[in-house]
Amino acid sequence: MWKLQRTERLAGYGFVLPITVLFAIFVGYPILFAIYLSFTRWSGFGTPQFTGFANYTRMFNDPVAAGAFLNTIVFAVVTTIIQTAIPLFIAVLLSRVWKGLSVVIRTILFIPGIISFVVSGVLWKLIYDPNLGTLNNALKAVGLGDLAQHWLSDPALVMPSIIVVSVWAAIGMNMLIFFAGIQGVDPTYYEAAEVDGASRWQQFWYVTVPGLRVVTAIVVSLNLMNGFKVFDIIYVMTGGGPSHQSEVFGTYLYGLAFGSTAGSIPQLGYGSAFSVVVMLLCGVAVLVQITLTKRANR
Amino acid sequence: MTTLTTKPPTVPFDRPTTGRGRRRMPVGKSFASLILIAAAALTIFPLIWLVLTSLREQNTVFGGPFIPTSITFDAYSKAWTSTNFGLHFLNSLWITTATVAGVVIFSALAGYAFAKLRFPFKNVIYVALLATLMMPSTSLIIPLYLQLKSFGLLNSQAGLLILYISSSAPFSMFLMRAFFQTLPDELVQAARIDGAGELAVFWRVVLPLARPGIATVIIFQFLATWNEFIYANTVLQNTDELPLQPVLFSLVGQYATDWPTLTAGLTMSIVPVILVYVWMQRQFVAGMTLGAVKN
Repeated sequence: MWKLQRTERLAGYGFVLPITVLFAIFVGYPILFAIYLSFTRWSGFGTPQFTGFANYTRMFNDPVAAGAFLNTIVFAVVTTIIQTAIPLFIAVLLSRVWKGLSVVIRTILFIPGIISFVVSGVLWKLIYDPNLGTLNNALKAVGLGDLAQHWLSDPALVMPSIIVVSVWAAIGMNMLIFFAGIQGVDPTYYEAAEVDGASRWQQFWYVTVPGLRVVTAIVVSLNLMNGFKVFDIIYVMTGGGPSHQSEVFGTYLYGLAFGSTAGSIPQLGYGSAFSVVVMLLCGVAVLVQITLTKRANR
Repeated sequence: MTTLTTKPPTVPFDRPTTGRGRRRMPVGKSFASLILIAAAALTIFPLIWLVLTSLREQNTVFGGPFIPTSITFDAYSKAWTSTNFGLHFLNSLWITTATVAGVVIFSALAGYAFAKLRFPFKNVIYVALLATLMMPSTSLIIPLYLQLKSFGLLNSQAGLLILYISSSAPFSMFLMRAFFQTLPDELVQAARIDGAGELAVFWRVVLPLARPGIATVIIFQFLATWNEFIYANTVLQNTDELPLQPVLFSLVGQYATDWPTLTAGLTMSIVPVILVYVWMQRQFVAGMTLGAVKN
């Protein structure tokens, strides 16, 4: 018996070893490294120069950082609200229509979600093209030419235009999660509620809504996190422009470290400070999920 | 939703199995169908436009009717040859396949150990993996770039592969663990009593039963890796080694006005993900339930 346990223990360690080692080297260590770098000034050559909280105080006096902060938060919150509400509504509708139709609709709605943000970003960039794009052409064709816009170069429109693409891509996945959640609500709860004389509205409110609370918590936190860390779609569509109007933390830190924002000198320390802020924001998203789930289980 | 009817409030959604309209709905079935069909049409429109544009004659791209009067596949051959599409396609394919293989092996092994084996510090290791499960690539790109540089793995597909496997294996491990937990403990114990070693128990008894879980991991990982951009765009600089996504990104500047070629390239790049999706759709939905709802 003792030998059996020993082999089990050895197997346990052996089985988790590869993933743990890889994770420690390529995720755990980089997290600590980013935190360390955020307190330094470094161009990538020589040794990092310790500067304390200088990068963080610099953030507060950097107008681009302030804009990126606002854009990141607005993007995350707005996409989360839309990408939770619409998919929930669609999932509820889906659970009531003829099954064949439901399958077809689900399949179609999901397709944008499996396409890369590079492809969808480029595709929508063409659609938004002010002179040749389909959107403006369509508006002109139906006599609404006045509504034609410079979608991606107008400072007021660039974020909403990008949010539309995010929503387009995200609806399918979230809808599927809600749909699975609706299927998972125990039917006996409805029967019990009916026996107790609950009205249909009460059944929705006291059975369906609580039944979906955990799922909603997951969707909200996933979308918040995706919003906080957004990079691909904005980098591809606008690169943060025009003149930083669609800059978010992801694109800004990337520019500071690898791109044109840095000029000729990469600012790895300052960029890392934004990495740390994105990590913290994602931590907030996790806390949101834990809080919502706890409330759901009460 | 209740504003859509004059009837007293009713359950705004119905369970699909309830028959005979016993629970009446505020919105009729046909109205719901109508909304859904409109949503689906809006969703698919950009993709139809993408494919139609790629099939147009070069001179009819701008201002022609929505449905082209004549179609041509010229743009496809042009996109294929002028961008060395085949090479990048194969790069994507092999990087994705290798990543999927690595993730499946490592995540299945660890998922099984966390679900079924007893060993000291198991929970400590598990929580450590779990806590940073969702670490965004945006946050790690700077330190990882520097790290690969110091390891001499920058500008190599091997370096990219390592990043892919290590950053996504923990999530798949989480899925696999959830799956293994649904298998009875007696299964493992019975195999052990029959004299099977731990690896044999895993390989011959448990793994074959985990096929649906593995299928889920394969699909998710395939899509995620095929579509990954930020690591690929940062780690690799040598054009010949690039997978598709960074190449597609660079096409925008190159073919800014040659929309058929540009859209043909985009269309070709999404064929594999569409195939995988259609082919394994049922598994996909099952995986979603497993991954999202049960945890």
